[in-house]
Amino acid sequence: MSARHWATRLHLATWGVATVIVAGWVLLSWRYGAYVLPSPLAVVRGFADIVASGEIWRHTFASLGRILVGFGGAVVVALLAGLASFLSRTARGVIQDFLSVLNSTSVFVWIVISIIWFGLSNWAPIFTTFMITLPVVASNIVEGVATVDRRLLEMGDVYRLSGRRKFTAIVVPSTLPYLVAGMKVGFGLALKVSVVAEIFGVTSGIGYVMNYSREILATQMVFVWALVMILVMTATDKLVFDAVSRRLDRWR
Amino acid sequence: MAVTLEVAEVGKDFLIPVIDSVSFGVEAGEFVCLLGPNGCGKTTLLRIVGGLEPPTRGRVLLGGEPVSGSDRHTRKVGVVFQEDRLLPWMTLRENVELVLEPLGVDATARRQTADRYLRLAGLGGFEDYHPARVSGGMRQRAAIARALAIEPDLLLMDEPFGALDAQNRRIMQAEVRRIWRETGRTILFVTHAIEEAVAIGTTLIMLSARPARIREMVRNDGSIARGTLIDGLNTMIMEEVERQQGASSTS
Repeated sequence: MSARHWATRLHLATWGVATVIVAGWVLLSWRYGAYVLPSPLAVVRGFADIVASGEIWRHTFASLGRILVGFGGAVVVALLAGLASFLSRTARGVIQDFLSVLNSTSVFVWIVISIIWFGLSNWAPIFTTFMITLPVVASNIVEGVATVDRRLLEMGDVYRLSGRRKFTAIVVPSTLPYLVAGMKVGFGLALKVSVVAEIFGVTSGIGYVMNYSREILATQMVFVWALVMILVMTATDKLVFDAVSRRLDRWR
Repeated sequence: MAVTLEVAEVGKDFLIPVIDSVSFGVEAGEFVCLLGPNGCGKTTLLRIVGGLEPPTRGRVLLGGEPVSGSDRHTRKVGVVFQEDRLLPWMTLRENVELVLEPLGVDATARRQTADRYLRLAGLGGFEDYHPARVSGGMRQRAAIARALAIEPDLLLMDEPFGALDAQNRRIMQAEVRRIWRETGRTILFVTHAIEEAVAIGTTLIMLSARPARIREMVRNDGSIARGTLIDGLNTMIMEEVERQQGASSTS
């Protein structure tokens, strides 16, 4: 293998640019001080601290737990919407109309409403995550169901497959890639949204601890937790979604 | 068991009349080729016979029972479409096994039947391949194996070799002819290639330009020399193509 090939595989150019950015970061941090911009070294130390103390797991799992409930609920409801849109064309139309309304609603609307409804509790970030990720996942699934090859369904009719068998053998496999794509985007969104909602009223989670760090003037910890978020997102993308996509593509 | 097919004064309108009125009968075990210019309604007629499309007028009886409506027949009809219509996420074997499920065949027998028909279609050894991993000709053969596996009373084929190159086409024609001899199914085969129809059909039906009527129905039992038959049908189809073009340019 050529040197050029390895350079591409290791993203050498990206590392080069990153080095320049870190150098600039160090200079700016000297110029403006640790409160505004903590040095890279302080961030690395902070990261080592939360790993050593185990604090990283407490807050990460608190956030992931809420995401699991909110986003998981959204996936379940989205699947039901997909089933309904397979069974009835009218249902599909109604669902699509409601999804476009949900899609154009701001995160902040749901945060405020969820605080009013659920008070300062776990349910506020969970509900917000649910409402924001539902339209993303559901519109993907409904789109997937709508684009099932009609010719394959007709083949199913010719050979008198039951409605249930047409669903499991034809509709589900052709919709799966849409579901996975929707879940991938939805999960990323869930992490971003639930963290914002955690600023209000809960005492654990990445969003809470970032806001708390800001209040106690520990700016380096804000950066540390931002890093944790990036790592969680990258890990789920690479370990979960890419693996699932590869598995789905086996027959291609 | 192969059954008789009766097409009685069938007509179809899609905004404009596509099929005027077509009547013919098919004996059990016959291999009928439906010929005609492009766009004359051959595929529509085949879809009506298969119960995929209701006729505007007339009716189709399969073994004496209607093919569409609430009192629909319980006969088995296999269809080979212009495209293979295999499920890409299933292996060739699974694709064939799938259509055996509604027949109440148990899993072991499904597998045996699927493998037998895949072998008959020359796909022995490829049972575990996904459609994307085999050639277009092999996919179309798998679709034929699937249609045959249900042991259909009637087999409908809609220009099944249209997407194949000339060489594969000839091979497939010989294969279908052989399978027909071995299984004795009643076959209705749509094509616009006259040489193909003459090479494989026992009865040839030439449709007219749109709206379709029967222009000619001939028995291909060797009483007419093959060359004469091909020439005659070629003349007819050219006339019909011209009529159809004339009709569309004035409309």
